[in-house]
This record gives sequence, C-alpha cells and structure tokens, in this order.
Amino acid sequence: MKIICIIPAYNEAENIVAVINSVKSLVDEVVVIDDCSSDDTYFLAKQQKITALKHIINRGQGAALKTGTEYAIRENADIIVHFDADGQFLAIDIKTIIAPLINNQADIVFGSRFINKQDNIAMPVMKRRVLMPLARLVNKLFFNINLTDPQSGFRAMTKLAAKKIDWHQDRMAHCSEILYQVVKYNLKIKEVPIKIIYNNFGQRFSGGVRILIDLFLAKLIS
Amino acid sequence: MFQQTLALIVIVFFLARLFWQKQKKQIAIAEFIFWLFFWLISAGAIISLKWLDKIVASLGFTASGINILLYLSVAVLFYLIFRLRLKLSKIERDITKLVRHIALKK
Repeated sequence: MKIICIIPAYNEAENIVAVINSVKSLVDEVVVIDDCSSDDTYFLAKQQKITALKHIINRGQGAALKTGTEYAIRENADIIVHFDADGQFLAIDIKTIIAPLINNQADIVFGSRFINKQDNIAMPVMKRRVLMPLARLVNKLFFNINLTDPQSGFRAMTKLAAKKIDWHQDRMAHCSEILYQVVKYNLKIKEVPIKIIYNNFGQRFSGGVRILIDLFLAKLIS
Repeated sequence: MFQQTLALIVIVFFLARLFWQKQKKQIAIAEFIFWLFFWLISAGAIISLKWLDKIVASLGFTASGINILLYLSVAVLFYLIFRLRLKLSKIERDITKLVRHIALKK
C-alpha cells in the first residue's frame, strides 16, 4: 500500500527539515509543496531527498495541498496524508490517522483536537470556547456536517476519495470546502484524536469571516 | 444650468475616451456597447432633469430627480464592484491552475 504525505509549506525554513525527517519513516513518499517562500524552504526540502514541488506564485495552503494531492493521485498513491509544515502535528499520529483507511472503515479520516479534552487544553479560551463552537455551528447549519474539529488540517484519504473531492478554495476556506464535498459525495468519515503542539494559534476571528466570504463567492461563481 | 452643462461636458469627455478606446481596439464590443448606453442614458437623464423631477414626484418620492439619480448610481456602483469581485475570483482560480500546472510539470 503506497502512502504519500503532502506537506504544503510557506516560509517554513525553520521547521521543514525536522518535519520531513519526522514523517519520512512512516510513509512511502514525502511531497513538500513550497508555496513561493521567500526563505530557503524549497532548497532545504530538496536536500532531504524527497519530492519538492514549487509554486512560482504564492497561492495559499489550499492550493498547495491540491497540487500535492494531484501529484499523489498521478503517482498512484493508495493513501494520501495532509500534514502541516509548522511542526504542530505529531508525526506518530499518522499511524492513527491512516489505520481506519487500511482497515477499510473510512474513505477519509480527520484528526481532531477535541475528542480528547487534554489535547486542546493549550488552545486559547477564545478559540476553544467561541470560534470553534461557532465554526461547528456554521458547518452544522449550512453543510449539515457534524464533526468535533471544524478546521482540522490533519487528514488522510484514499485515492478514490481524493479523486472525488475537488476543492477550489486556495486559502484557508479549503478545510470547510473539503468537509462539504465529503458530505456531498457521501464518503465514509472517521475522526481520530490527535495531539497538537501549539507554536501559534492559527485562525483569528477575521480569518473566520474571510473563510465565510470566500465560500459565499465560490458559491456564486460555480 | 451651469451644473447640467458641467455634467454634460464630463459625459462628452468620457464618450470621446470610449470611442478612442474602441478605435484603438482596447475595449471589447460588448463592453463598448454597455458604456455607450450607460453614458447616453446618463446624458439623457441630465438633459431632462425637470421632467425627471415630475416623474419622481408623481411616484411619491420626496427627493428630487438628481437625488434619485445619485441613489441609483450608488446602487449601480455597488453592483459593478460585486461583479468585479466575482471576475477577480475567477482570474485567481485560473492563476492557481497555471501555477499548479507549472509545479507538476517540473
């Protein structure tokens, strides 16, 4: 079974080598997509003897993930893992996230910071108590999605699922769009607990509003 | 009267620019027709402001004709900005496609 790990990276020269080395032994191929970083992310990734792709213009995390996913489909991966380059995810959780796919229990598996309470204890109260519940409510109301972690970037999917999910959101709204398409195509979902080491706290309220605007515009275009 | 003349001069200036752009083939025919009608209707509305005042009054509005024109133009501007945003989103998608194609080709 061929497992490819996709790591979108933007100005992650500080973390990229450690992240690549932490996941390398757990998957068959590591693919880093450098999203037009201004630092040495691309060269450092290339030095690790992995596949490094480069966006010549910065297009956002969603776009970089899609580039990597298309590459993995082309390379005939059986399982595609989406992983962050900032060192916040634990590589060992890859085993947990791909297990339901290997056992045929799901088409797509999401890592959740909210299944085990101690996994999100370091998250700021505002995000844990206000932003995340709000995002869950939006997912429930507009997309009829019931997941504990509405913005999880740690996910794994089968090639079949990856072929069906065709997201167009280049920036942070891709998480919601992927969820929406998973429900639309009736794919089997599973959530597994993951641990996060918090370096920074990701989305702010303004980021959440931006996601909603992007999703609204995308609805009008399509 | 002076304000009307000034507005008409501005419209004539924009019409002249429009024809110049058309001649230089800098503008698509559909866009040319849209702006031509837009400026001609604007000129017509300014010329017949008194008649417009009467129509607006007969419709029960308290504002004068020029105010209604102003409200309408603000609404049109909002719509055009919205259309522009949609177009920008489409262009962004196309840029992403190109960037992805180049990344995967290497």
